[in-house]
Amino acid sequence: MTHLADEQFEDIVQGWAPEPAHLAECPACRARLAEQRAIRARLQSSFAAVRAGEALAERIRRTAGPERPAAAPLGPARPSRIHHLSRRAWATFAAAAALVLVTVPAIFYLTAPNPAQAELVKIHAGNLAPHHEFFTDADPAKLADYLKTQLGFEPATPRLGQGMAIRGCCLDHFKGEHVGSYVVDTPRGPISIIVMPQAPEALGMRGKVEAGGKTYWTGAFAHNNMVAVRIGAYTYCAVGAVPHDLLTQILLDLGLTGKS
Amino acid sequence: MADKKDFESIAMPHLDAVYRAAVALSRREEDARDLVQTVYVKALERFVSFAPGSNARAWLLQILRNAWIDELRHRKVAGPTVSIEESQPAVADPPHPPETVWSNAEDVLANFSDDEVRRALGELPDDQRLTLFLVDVEGLSQEEVAEITGVPAGTVKSRTSRARAALKERLMAWAKEMGLSGRVR
Repeated sequence: MTHLADEQFEDIVQGWAPEPAHLAECPACRARLAEQRAIRARLQSSFAAVRAGEALAERIRRTAGPERPAAAPLGPARPSRIHHLSRRAWATFAAAAALVLVTVPAIFYLTAPNPAQAELVKIHAGNLAPHHEFFTDADPAKLADYLKTQLGFEPATPRLGQGMAIRGCCLDHFKGEHVGSYVVDTPRGPISIIVMPQAPEALGMRGKVEAGGKTYWTGAFAHNNMVAVRIGAYTYCAVGAVPHDLLTQILLDLGLTGKS
Repeated sequence: MADKKDFESIAMPHLDAVYRAAVALSRREEDARDLVQTVYVKALERFVSFAPGSNARAWLLQILRNAWIDELRHRKVAGPTVSIEESQPAVADPPHPPETVWSNAEDVLANFSDDEVRRALGELPDDQRLTLFLVDVEGLSQEEVAEITGVPAGTVKSRTSRARAALKERLMAWAKEMGLSGRVR
């Protein structure tokens, strides 16, 4: 007797085909069909209680809400990076984001652009220009080594993961001094992180958020947001057309892992 | 062309399905939440190209699959250019001789917790895992799964069959370890 083929079983299990007459005559095939149905049912039931939950739904709405303008603050949502942010860091970020939620809107609209911020945006725009001289490598260690060679210090680099990738780095001038910068692709678009010796106060940003024991300065210019923080002897300024809280989070990660 | 103001009403009803698939792929709920967030961010970015009235769940699950491939690339587990198909280890088609069929499958399977069943699924190669999940758990059609996984419909059927056989092998091995092998024809 010829038994049913695998694909025939599949059609029957899924209800894509009726049971053939052969099943009535073949106990082996009947048993195998029953087994496959049992496995399918058990697999279904193992996921029955798996639900996204309201917390994730809210996180999604805050992150992917269509009505939120690019510069508006987020809640505790974060870009998706699967392994790298600890629960403790997440709690820190949530606190920071809550502060951003309360503090940034008023400050954002009251903050007038100044030449320093215009220069930072110009650096970012230059980094994205195709003709710009750029050290391209996705390996943060190689980028850090390159900048160390060029600048004399090793800047902290962001933690990378899903949706976050480093594109490359380059040397720029800011207020007449050499500075290093690197471009990070985030789920919301590319940003530049500019590393400079100048203090954050010199950047003319009037927004301030306290998080993780540090002060994060916020500003905006020409459809770009920016957040700056002092880590060791250098200021790290994240610039891009992405929300302030995403920039803050990336800098928070720098603060957690910064080598400066 | 879809209007972004409709994004929530179209995409959010499928959040549970996307999350379940993310759990099946990533195997960890914390990772799954991050993966789902990435999916919805990408979906919003691409929503202008979503055809109103088309299958939003399949569309989101396809984004999920691609996001998972991106994640594998970032982890460098699968190498910089590897596809999800190539990332899976070579698994020979398990034979189905009648003598290996559980005669009391439901009884044996009832001894496993939900976590254990999901863990057994999680040990399958990525494409088998996703295909079996989409077919058995989400009840998608061959055509939908073919579109999501980027393979012909016939491949979906054979892959589902292989995946269920592989899942059974794992559960059977555990059952033996637990002394639950029961009757085997």
